[in-house]
Amino acid sequence: MNGLLLASLLIPLLGFVLVFVAPNNEKKIATISFWCSHALGAAIVALISLWAINGFPSQEFEWFTLYATDDYLFPILLYFDRISAVYLGCVWAIFSIIVKYCRIYLHREAGYKRFFLTIFSFVFGLNIVILSGSIDILFAGWEIVGMSSFLLIAFYRHRPQPIRNALRAYCIYRFCDIGLLLGSWMSHLLFHESQHFSQLANLFDHNSFPPAGYGSLLLLSSLIIIGASGKSAQFPFCFWLPRAMEGPTPSSAIFYGALSVHLGVFLLLRTDPIWSYHYLTRFIVFMIGFLTVVIASLSEKTQSSIKGQIAYASITQVGFMFIELSFGLETLVLIHFLGNAFLRCYQLLVSPSIVAHLLRVEGSADTDFYINSSDNKFSFLPASIRNTVPEVLQNTLYVFSLQEGNLEILVRTLIWEPLKRTGFVINKTGLWIKALYTLIVILLILVAIQGIGTDMSYFAIPISIGMVFASLSAFGQINKPISVWNAITLSSFLAGMAVLFINPQAKPDVALFLSGITPAWLIGIAVLFKLLKHQDSSESLFAYHAMAETRPKLSLLLFLSFLCLVGFPISPAFLGEDLLLSHASSHDPWFALPITIAFIINGVAGARVFQRLCMGRPTELCNEEDAIITNEIKPSFNNASKKVIEETS
Amino acid sequence: MLNHAQTPTPLDGHSAALAFDMDRVIDHISHWLPTQGPIKDFIHHNTLHAVQHLPFHEGVALAGKMFGARSYLPMENYQRMYRQGRITDHAVDWALNRTELPVQQQAQIRQTMLEPDHSSHYPPVSLANHGIRNVWLNRIELELNALVHPILFRLLGNFLDQGISRWTLPKEGECFWDCVMRLAQNSLLPLYPLQEPIVRELLTKNKEDVILICLEKIVGDPCLYEQYLLEMILAHPGWAGMVRIVEENPRSLLDPRNISLKELIAVELVCELAFLIKQKGAAFVNVNNTPLPKDTTLLKEGLPKPVIPLSLKVWHEAMEWSLHSELLAALKPKQKSPAKGPTKPYVQAFFCIDDRECSLRRYLEELDPGIETFGAAGFFGIDFLYQGLDDAYPVAQCPVIIKPKHLIRESGSQANPDGDAKADSITHLHFQSHSVLRGWLYTQTLGIGYAARMAWDVFRPGSKIPKLKMLSEVDSHTHLHLLRENDTPTEDGYLLGFSFSEMADRVGGLLTNIGLTKHFAPLVVIVAHGSSSVNNPHFAAYDCGACSGKPGAPNARAFAWMANHDEVRRILYDRGIEIPVETRFIAAMHNTSRDEINYFDNHLLDQHPAKGLSTFQKIMSKALQFNARERCRWFELGPKSSLVDLAHDHVTTRASSIFEPRPELNHSNNLYCIIARRKLTRDLFMDRRAFLHSYDPDKDPSGNIMVRILSAVIPVCGGINLEYLFSRIDNSVYGAGTKLPHNVIGLLGVANGVEGDLRTGLPSQMIEVHEPARLLIVAEQSCAILDKALANIGDLKEWLDNDWVRLVSCHPASGEQFLYTADGWQAVELPASFNTPTASQSEDIILGQTETIPVHQLIRSTS
Repeated sequence: MNGLLLASLLIPLLGFVLVFVAPNNEKKIATISFWCSHALGAAIVALISLWAINGFPSQEFEWFTLYATDDYLFPILLYFDRISAVYLGCVWAIFSIIVKYCRIYLHREAGYKRFFLTIFSFVFGLNIVILSGSIDILFAGWEIVGMSSFLLIAFYRHRPQPIRNALRAYCIYRFCDIGLLLGSWMSHLLFHESQHFSQLANLFDHNSFPPAGYGSLLLLSSLIIIGASGKSAQFPFCFWLPRAMEGPTPSSAIFYGALSVHLGVFLLLRTDPIWSYHYLTRFIVFMIGFLTVVIASLSEKTQSSIKGQIAYASITQVGFMFIELSFGLETLVLIHFLGNAFLRCYQLLVSPSIVAHLLRVEGSADTDFYINSSDNKFSFLPASIRNTVPEVLQNTLYVFSLQEGNLEILVRTLIWEPLKRTGFVINKTGLWIKALYTLIVILLILVAIQGIGTDMSYFAIPISIGMVFASLSAFGQINKPISVWNAITLSSFLAGMAVLFINPQAKPDVALFLSGITPAWLIGIAVLFKLLKHQDSSESLFAYHAMAETRPKLSLLLFLSFLCLVGFPISPAFLGEDLLLSHASSHDPWFALPITIAFIINGVAGARVFQRLCMGRPTELCNEEDAIITNEIKPSFNNASKKVIEETS
Repeated sequence: MLNHAQTPTPLDGHSAALAFDMDRVIDHISHWLPTQGPIKDFIHHNTLHAVQHLPFHEGVALAGKMFGARSYLPMENYQRMYRQGRITDHAVDWALNRTELPVQQQAQIRQTMLEPDHSSHYPPVSLANHGIRNVWLNRIELELNALVHPILFRLLGNFLDQGISRWTLPKEGECFWDCVMRLAQNSLLPLYPLQEPIVRELLTKNKEDVILICLEKIVGDPCLYEQYLLEMILAHPGWAGMVRIVEENPRSLLDPRNISLKELIAVELVCELAFLIKQKGAAFVNVNNTPLPKDTTLLKEGLPKPVIPLSLKVWHEAMEWSLHSELLAALKPKQKSPAKGPTKPYVQAFFCIDDRECSLRRYLEELDPGIETFGAAGFFGIDFLYQGLDDAYPVAQCPVIIKPKHLIRESGSQANPDGDAKADSITHLHFQSHSVLRGWLYTQTLGIGYAARMAWDVFRPGSKIPKLKMLSEVDSHTHLHLLRENDTPTEDGYLLGFSFSEMADRVGGLLTNIGLTKHFAPLVVIVAHGSSSVNNPHFAAYDCGACSGKPGAPNARAFAWMANHDEVRRILYDRGIEIPVETRFIAAMHNTSRDEINYFDNHLLDQHPAKGLSTFQKIMSKALQFNARERCRWFELGPKSSLVDLAHDHVTTRASSIFEPRPELNHSNNLYCIIARRKLTRDLFMDRRAFLHSYDPDKDPSGNIMVRILSAVIPVCGGINLEYLFSRIDNSVYGAGTKLPHNVIGLLGVANGVEGDLRTGLPSQMIEVHEPARLLIVAEQSCAILDKALANIGDLKEWLDNDWVRLVSCHPASGEQFLYTADGWQAVELPASFNTPTASQSEDIILGQTETIPVHQLIRSTS
């Protein structure tokens, strides 16, 4: 069974690697994905049947330990139980349908290979999440799912709108990762070595002895709930889901209709013992679900696009799942999940049929055809009060629904704008003033240390503030990619330094972390210099530069170094991030907050650099090297063609 | 058609400064917008109608500078065709010669044409992407479009929505501006971003004042107003174009709306101002105060001066001439093969002019020389609005240039056979509205059932779930109310049905057009066409272009009914068209995607048996299989064997697969239009590239029939041709991009994602194999008579004079060919070495071929 677990986990990765090394040949990629989806299906079916034969046991499997020091263990833990079985079965069904569907649907599409690569990495991430045995592993899968989501939304990178929406979804993901990252750290802190999902339930078995204080459990639960509601587009993050429908229809179907959107529910199911322990957190989950149902079902009423409507219908159902979760109806949630996943996936796949469907099939068959049915706006109200709703309320309700509960505006003003504004202020401040402030702070602390004999670790406070400032400064500017890059690196280095001050024993961990960051920084800077060498200095870098098309190799390199720089689970920096958190903050818990914030903001800022530089549609302007060739030809042509124009006009 | 007087010309600086004439400016700029109506009727038209008054190459270059689009294919495509021999040296010479440049410059161009080129496939710097507005926005570092568009598109989408959203936004007869004002001013929640104090004050004024005030604040200089507005609406041509169309023709929507481009501009400007003030403060830098790069186009100094890339232009013309001369060479009079002896046909079949019918006709004739085919515009001369049994509303069944006055309704001749099928819940897509709790219940219970349905649809696409009725499968057990019973018009002003003399006018008109006024066979089959596809919002673009994007079945049925009626025949007899008593007209519809045929009104056959119908049906089903195989050569994933059954199965599956973005390739590679007797083209293999219209030159000494034909052929076939051409040349600007991320908005059109602009033009899946060459119309008529005809086609002459389509006269007797130019007819001289390849049957030509095939001469062994 363990072998099958590993197979289910690794086959998508194998598929990813095979597609990656395969030539850009549709037929080969199709064959690879066909076999991989079937092998995955076989593994999953075998796993589930074996599990059923054995009498549905919950099974944990520790593959190997990735990293171990005396007080820190990072084992690769897998866990399989009823919830994993349902999710894995659903993944198999939908993934194999989508692969078959896309074989023909994406035929002759320029990004055929890119699409299958991202789909495989998505399923890989998804399986990690589903089979993970601890929050750390789950977080790794979570990140992979988030990144492949970003890439698929921005699949059509010629147009600014998919790129923007991809970034929006990525920011929400990233923000909600604060929840998960801090959550994983807290679970280390609270449960020590026993943060295995398999042991969670046991921990809470003794009602009289909760494994941690109510306060910290409440905090941990809230963090997990934030993570879950971001991924599942629940209150207050509903707005990103409809806007994420930018990739090819089947990718929207598998991500936002079927699987990705239910990951939040999965997270809650997994951590059920933690948050269901307390009524307050149950109530929070209930309220999130309830508010989501209200807002999403109202927003659905005024969606004039079919995918937007399906998105809100799906969000509503996930809201119901949250409510069901808060009542502890786990089985019902699982059934509901399956129903919603299949229904929305199907609806999205056939969404192009809506024109013909409404005009020809339904319009004739249903007597309540709603074209020309003048006022059914309040048909959901009882007939007796329907006509008594004053106009101002009608308008209010309409505006509320049109603006989707104002959630985007809310999140923007509460989170995005303040960060951006702070970044602007930091960037406007002159270098000398910054240096002066730094000097003063250092002197003050030195004085304090000398005079009163305070601990060296207090140095960590100004350093971590400096780290957040550096991140914010990266976030606050768009048009200077190199300084953004430097600021991100600076912030990471400051993080390392702060950790050293807090816990001088953490040297190897910091080294591990920086060993991921430094090469990424250097490569990134080199690539940026190369990319920007030909850039016209007068031209603003605010516009999109489409370098993924004009300079594909350098862009790929930039993308990779961006991933490493922001601690994606392909670089040692990912592990380092986790280590820094757990090390430093086991001594000083406050440190977890600034470091997480800095990591999150760094991710967003880095993504923005990549987005501005590499995406967009190329025009004559962008192509500097070729421009030389055309210039040579042009003179002889200009005369000739001018003559033609004169003649003809 | 486009009015010459109103074509866009820039304002000159002086008058602009004095008075900014808003209505005139809006009128001017609206000419640059696409004119594609709601997606339910897809009407092909010249994508670049805005520059149609200019010669082709200049117009295309100007449009490129305005919209930021490419003008030609990438250089390497032409070079590859040259290496493959599809572009001949003769054609390159011909094209170079037409540039009228000195010989030595021609030689220079010829040299550069063969050099590798890496930059020409990038679109040019343009007004839409690099104009003053974009320079300014980049300078102040504000993504105004990203802020304003989602809000504007949501308002527009909900205002114009035809049935997707549950709540309707506008009240009865309310206009867009009033509607937005109602939401902004009379709601407890602010309508974002109009809650800004300065903007709130503005909203009390009327929309003209609002536009002026906003422009003054944002732009500053009245000379730049027009350009700013133009660039602003060119950032979302899809919605702006849709608004303009609804403004000019509210009836293009089922549920009419009151909206104008001016209101759109007012709302957009107000939103822009609100965001500018919010993000940049009240004293933001306006457009006039932004330093412009020196090469920025200023509209006040005239339209951009495009540079026509000469080598590409020459390549393009050479490609077109190579392809055109393939046909012209094949049409040259040849040594007659030993007299065939005109076999008297036992069946005559009328087909639509459509290029997709070209091969089917060839196969029919190949299989049975006793079948004679004719081509005519697929509405078969009968123009009416049609409301089928299943239709919620009547639709026009004729080319868009004709405004029908008659309404025809269909009624069931027996009890509705599919009443119970629709009650079956799994056949519904569950898109319809239901309450929140019911939604919860449905998802819980029905949801899992969809896993089975989805798996079925994806893994077994060809087989249908029983009882599930597919679109476009027309029931043939119905009855058309064709005969007018009284003359009172309906409330919409239409006449219900036709009188006998009106019927005779239409039937006789068509018969005269195609030159069939005697020698009727005992059986005449009228074959309309339609196309069935699933999961395809562009379905209307797959149906009959001459029926405004509808299946032509009602027209064929109407025609057959009329032509069978004794009273109509009596009137026709008086007019010199004698239809023998034993001749029967039978209506049928060819499904071009599934390659199936449906015969209508079979219940009448007992009463009036049609002689030879069963033989014809057998031949037809065989021909359809051959036709399916010929189509399969284009499908990379289709069967490559010569087995016809496999091919036919493949096309059937293809048309019913939800994951197939290419149910068929429609008019891809359309290239020729031949108005002639069938005799001229009967032995030609034209690779499904020709629109074929039957015409008898001997019966048209005055050219009047030619006028009628040309006025339908030029806009319909020319429109199809140019829409394919431009969608192919720059799919992201002129076309709709790839179908895969499309999202249906309000039943109006498709957009990318939820908040994108409406996409006009054709999706890349329809045009990717198209060779973008202009249409060559060959008319079998002498130049003199054609001149007479051309004098009477009105505005359409612009298409010919400016080379948007080419016309060649082929003399009916001598076969001499002359090319039409604005300066007169030029004799077509092809080198003697031009030999049309020959083959004995179509099968030999198509097997193993995956690209376009030159015109072949078919040498029939027997008969």
